[in-house]
Amino acid sequence: MALEPLKFQDEKPPRPAAPGKKWIRVTKAVNGIDTEVWEEVSDDAGGPQWGPRDQMRLVSRAIPRVDGPDKVSGRAMYSSDMRLPGMVYARVLRSRVPCGTVKLDLEAAKAIPGVLAVIALNNGNIDWLGRPIAAVAATTPELAEDGLRAIVATYEEQPFAVTPEQSAAENAPKVNSRGNVRTLSKNTDSSEVDAALGKAAKRVQGTWKIPVQHHASLETHGVVVDYRGGAEATIYASTQGTFTIPGDAAGRLGLQGGQVTAVVEHMGGGFGSKFGMGIEGDAACQLAKELGRPVHLMLDRATEFHAAGNRSGGEHTLEAGLDDKGQIVAIKGRVTRHGGVGQGSGHPIPYIYGRDAKVFVEDRCIHTHTDSSRAMRGPGHPQASFSMEALMDECAYASGLDLLEIRRINLADNRRELYMRQLERCAALIGWDKHPFKNAPDLSKSELKVGIGFAIARWGGGGNGQCKVEVRIAQDGSVEVLSGTQDLGTGTRTYCASIVAEELGLELGAVRPRIGRSTFGSANASGGSTTSPSLSPSVKHAAHNARLALFEKVAPLLGVKPDELAVGLGEIHVAAKPSQKIAWKDACAALGPAGLSAQGEWQAHLASSDVGGAQAAKVQVDTLTGEIKVLDMVAVQNCGLLLNRMAVKSQLQGGMVQALSYGLFEERVLDPDLGLFLNANFEDYKIAGVREIPRMQVEFEDDPRGVIGMAEAAVIPGHSAIANAVRNACGVRVFDMPVTADKVLVGLEALRKKG
Amino acid sequence: MSDAASPPEAKSSPEPRSGSEAKPALTRRAFFKGAGVVAAGGVIGEAVHASNARAFGPAMLEGQVEVELEINGAKQKVTVEPRTTLLNALRNHCNPPLTGTKLVCDRGSCGACTVHLDGKPVYSCMTLAVDAVGHKVKTIEGLAPQGQLTVLQQKFCDHDGSQCGFCTPGFVMAITACLERNPAASLDEIQNACSGNLCRCGTQPQIFEAALAAGRALQSKGGK
Repeated sequence: MALEPLKFQDEKPPRPAAPGKKWIRVTKAVNGIDTEVWEEVSDDAGGPQWGPRDQMRLVSRAIPRVDGPDKVSGRAMYSSDMRLPGMVYARVLRSRVPCGTVKLDLEAAKAIPGVLAVIALNNGNIDWLGRPIAAVAATTPELAEDGLRAIVATYEEQPFAVTPEQSAAENAPKVNSRGNVRTLSKNTDSSEVDAALGKAAKRVQGTWKIPVQHHASLETHGVVVDYRGGAEATIYASTQGTFTIPGDAAGRLGLQGGQVTAVVEHMGGGFGSKFGMGIEGDAACQLAKELGRPVHLMLDRATEFHAAGNRSGGEHTLEAGLDDKGQIVAIKGRVTRHGGVGQGSGHPIPYIYGRDAKVFVEDRCIHTHTDSSRAMRGPGHPQASFSMEALMDECAYASGLDLLEIRRINLADNRRELYMRQLERCAALIGWDKHPFKNAPDLSKSELKVGIGFAIARWGGGGNGQCKVEVRIAQDGSVEVLSGTQDLGTGTRTYCASIVAEELGLELGAVRPRIGRSTFGSANASGGSTTSPSLSPSVKHAAHNARLALFEKVAPLLGVKPDELAVGLGEIHVAAKPSQKIAWKDACAALGPAGLSAQGEWQAHLASSDVGGAQAAKVQVDTLTGEIKVLDMVAVQNCGLLLNRMAVKSQLQGGMVQALSYGLFEERVLDPDLGLFLNANFEDYKIAGVREIPRMQVEFEDDPRGVIGMAEAAVIPGHSAIANAVRNACGVRVFDMPVTADKVLVGLEALRKKG
Repeated sequence: MSDAASPPEAKSSPEPRSGSEAKPALTRRAFFKGAGVVAAGGVIGEAVHASNARAFGPAMLEGQVEVELEINGAKQKVTVEPRTTLLNALRNHCNPPLTGTKLVCDRGSCGACTVHLDGKPVYSCMTLAVDAVGHKVKTIEGLAPQGQLTVLQQKFCDHDGSQCGFCTPGFVMAITACLERNPAASLDEIQNACSGNLCRCGTQPQIFEAALAAGRALQSKGGK
């Protein structure tokens, strides 16, 4: 599927808005890929309003998440924690070879006492390394693994290409029927850009290499399928989309969609990789159907690495031509994505910079016999950021310009104010003014060099109308907010409660959020930072409607009209005369046994889109060992109304940690000769640990807009800032991530030889 | 110092002791033999009753064994295989299942399965259930049995020490042990204590804040 490039706000809607309508940008996540479209909505800004922020009690404040106590005490139930009567444990066998066919003899496995079912998962054709080929269900996970070992798999191996180099070589084994190397861009005429480059005062170029990164969610992919025959099933899924489950599961179980309920109480990380049932979900359904018993199937860690997605790697060859003032007049590039059997998310080059530049980019993908890439937090953007921010710094060094000045010159007019404000604030936070080596490295004798780097991000983060929310008020005064949505650890559950509590004048604990169940109101999948801008306006609308419905019941008790009422803390009173009031419990007692239920839908005017952020990193490079230590990371981010300052700060810092990890440590390593994945575990595939965490400081701008998602923006620029800081510190530009000590040493040696 | 960072070795493969009183625990060789029997032939022997792992001696274990584990102060009999890890025993064999302890890497590289064995943090995925016999096991569920959070758990909530929360029990157990040893632990000591724990959401800054705040609160309370 072709990925729509991020459409920027300055692009125009397709036609003028009809009377009483307006155009807004809507972010729609298609399998987690952020796709932005224009949508015409009612221009009526009536209905609920967020209201003045300085008067908010809960929303826009820093509040501890409501499920914190469950998470710190082990009570939080993740899908992998489900234990059901008669439940069996399943495991999948993955293909040892990247390409070929396999014949399976399952008899020995079936003969093991305690092994209850053994199934083949495909027709025996293998076109990527690690593809699941069989599954075993047994009374314990240990016995299921015995079953896997007892399966006799006879492979007929075919030549394979697991690396892009192998795949692009002449006479390479075919990976994709449309060709191993596919050009996706249509424009083939670079003459205008070539001419502009020819006239440029300076030219800067480089080839950047980006490894394949893994999501490495701590909870692996998987499901617990509760199907014991009959007409109903419940799927406990570790997923980013509650509603991506029932339809597919029903198909596998031979049921109707409405007969299957998906449950996602808590989930242990997805980062873009967990949508739909997946091969593992299909296998679990097949086993459950065969056995008539609940099946627990979570991938083991090695299979998670092999067969549960990744962030596409790539290679960017870029050349920029500058005029004598440092403005880029032309960018020519070849962008290659490495998405395995998939195509990879688009790497949007040129990224943000390059106003008025003539641009020619050839966009290609190279297929390999490896698992397809999937969306991963900010799909395509961190990759594009890595080469583009490096190119900007190299342009600055080539022109003798300050690292901020080169950015000011090359940002589009309508983006300059925002990003320069953020960059200058980052510069102040990280001590750029006092940094003595602004556009040339520290050439002193000191072995420890300190450097600073900058980078910026943008993302849509708008909402859409997929969420339906219900607020229930019971006669005893208890309140529930219900939505099928899922909480990935972002704090969804908490703001569902806080928005309702704010609207109804209640304490946070008085509202019970119930989410993660497909029998509740529909909700979008959590991809592309679309959850909070889609869900929170719907929650607000439902709470608003509940309040109005309650006022209807209460008004006669106070002898006034409903529109004369207002909420206070734990009470409803006459707005003009607050002493004329009724306590919350007494008001609800008037509801009768059925209580009250109010529905909410998306309110476009309560959301917005388009976030921007800047980050800076300060690193120390030991020129003797090449060791890189990140000392500080800072961020300045806008994102509309902050639903919970505590959770959003955690999410921003979390993105920065992930980017640090991406920039310095993470890389999938494959053996090109043997066709093996060499580091499918957490010892050899390293992610940042507690010892790698720098001092961190983040700030949010006071942003008057409605709610916008910012999860993606958080992860986009950090590694680029770190790589730039290494360059600033010691003069070495490491072109291929991860930026490691050995590459720094090689670069230092090259610099020495150059003199 | 380093027992937190690399917990279980001392427990899962004890140093041979001199003297006739040394009671060797289940040996690695016997373990593999036991596991091998199951894998190869599926011979499930009669449940071996064993109230004390030491009583196994160097003998080969095979099939299923009934062991008595002391978990969170209560004794519980579970029937496991010799190869069953303490982690899987907790999650899959206890009644009710103790699923607060998480399975993430299953090979001692992420810390999500950290529990306390006689007060020391160990990776329960690297500890055999049969080797936990005769020791006091404490899991995340045992920290706050009546729902009253410990100081550290409360600080985790106050400082947003969880995002997805899957690593949280392991971090809480590792840092709890650290603060039990030294409530005045420095940031460096706290980082050392949880340097074997991975968090993918990038929540470490808040975890450090929570741990330091808990340390301060514990000191002002004078211990627990």
